[in-house]
Amino acid sequence: MVLRIEHLTKVYRKGVRANDDVTLDVAEGEVFGLLGHNGAGKTTLLHQVIGLTKPTSGSITIDGRDVVAHPAHARQACSLQPQSQAPLGGMTPRQAIELMARIRGAGRGQARQRTAELIAGLDLEPWAATSGERLSGGVQRLTAFCLAAAEPGRVVMLDEPTNDVDPVRRRLLWRQIRALADAGSAVLLVTHGVAEAERVVDRLAILQHGRIVAEGTPARLRGSHDDQLRLELHAVSDATAAQLQPPFATARPAVVAGLRLSLTIEAREAAGALSWAQHERVAGRVDEFSLNPARLEDVYIGLVSEGGGDA
Amino acid sequence: MRSYLLLVYWTLLRLRSTLPLLLFLQTLISVGIVVGFSFLVPQADAVTGFYLSTGAVTIGLITVGMVAAPQLVAQQKLTGAFDHQRALPVPRMAMLAADASVWVALALPGLAAALGVAALRFGLSLTLSPLVVPAILLVALCSVAIGYGLAYATKPEVSTMLSQVILFVALMFAPINFPAERLPRWLATVHEWLPFGYMAQVVRETVNVPAGGVDPFPFAVLALWCVAGLSITYRVMTRRV
Repeated sequence: MVLRIEHLTKVYRKGVRANDDVTLDVAEGEVFGLLGHNGAGKTTLLHQVIGLTKPTSGSITIDGRDVVAHPAHARQACSLQPQSQAPLGGMTPRQAIELMARIRGAGRGQARQRTAELIAGLDLEPWAATSGERLSGGVQRLTAFCLAAAEPGRVVMLDEPTNDVDPVRRRLLWRQIRALADAGSAVLLVTHGVAEAERVVDRLAILQHGRIVAEGTPARLRGSHDDQLRLELHAVSDATAAQLQPPFATARPAVVAGLRLSLTIEAREAAGALSWAQHERVAGRVDEFSLNPARLEDVYIGLVSEGGGDA
Repeated sequence: MRSYLLLVYWTLLRLRSTLPLLLFLQTLISVGIVVGFSFLVPQADAVTGFYLSTGAVTIGLITVGMVAAPQLVAQQKLTGAFDHQRALPVPRMAMLAADASVWVALALPGLAAALGVAALRFGLSLTLSPLVVPAILLVALCSVAIGYGLAYATKPEVSTMLSQVILFVALMFAPINFPAERLPRWLATVHEWLPFGYMAQVVRETVNVPAGGVDPFPFAVLALWCVAGLSITYRVMTRRV
């Protein structure tokens, strides 16, 4: 294991328990996802690993070395993409990435080559020579990723790297994240994009009020919900969506969001559910519907709402 | 040393778009003090002229170190760039040194301009001491150290306001542009503990050496302030909450 976190607890001075007995590890070549509601303690966890915040108790080691006692070693061994935008100022992405690679220890030639690779890989060429102040939020975020990935450490920590990024470049970004792991880094990734993360992460943990409430591979976490399906209906109006009453039992309370009604049902109810949905469609109350296996997002929302989270 | 140079380059590139404006404003303020205050005091005698010209240099250095620098740190804290920097794999001292070098370099052109304008305006003849370079570096470093200490130790909103107050005090209520005897006794006593008067004194005495030679005492006081500012900055920089 490259990164090993054991029984980590962080209590802030005002008594807020940001992390509560968190234990997890990330191996070389692995992408580990950290999911959780706002304020669940994800960023606090990253900050403790890199030595910006001091744990109240517990241990963090990187390649067996205690980084709580040696924060300078943590900064050498980790590269972090913070949640905030990168401090580019008047720099262009190309200048910033290349210089950051050199600050992190790369030689001039290597820095230049890696910068070209990242810019091409994320299709940033059109903005590579634009001053930082004129870049859109998404391009700034991608540049911030490149700053962390230019000369990556043993542990690469990314705090919501896909925010503001367009769907096409998001895919390119996921590919680069995978490539970081394949090149030998342990990647710890904080994200709200549950559906996307499901396809990329090797393992993940769901953090709630500072505690890990579930941990494992995406398949394992979905596992307990294999007998459940998700029925999604698009009603003709918001009011209609709120009025739709399924004549069968649902595994969890219905979720209405605008036109969309989302129901989690037991697999044995599938036939009845489909004929009800078709009936509503013929009656002109529903435009379209779909029935799918439950996804990680359903598991996530299930876990978080059981615990009373604010996701 | 390698990370120091790269960080200097990083800071220069980052400030690229604001650097010309900062340089311009800083020069304007230094020159403005010489010209502007001579409107206030129309019949400037040799002493007044001398105080104003050397005061302009000191105020110029205070503006960069205790106003511009803390405001930029405050901005970095607000945008999150501060944590980004703290997470970099470089010695924290190299980071501080790089920032300080950029700020000191930024102050120099304004300083030369102010002295030049003053020499023309008041027809001063100066007898420079070889100590003038270390004196100006010490004043610059001291004000950057205090400015950083302030900006690192307080919230961004507070440090921005404090830096305004400092500039106001330095301009009007500190024995920089005029001799300490003109201040009420209590305020003069307060200034025996503050760095402003000593900053002005080392600039004055090294630009035009008095009969008794350069007094080493203000150098010692400024060195202490410098150490205090840097230790606060370093402490906050390495602190893990």
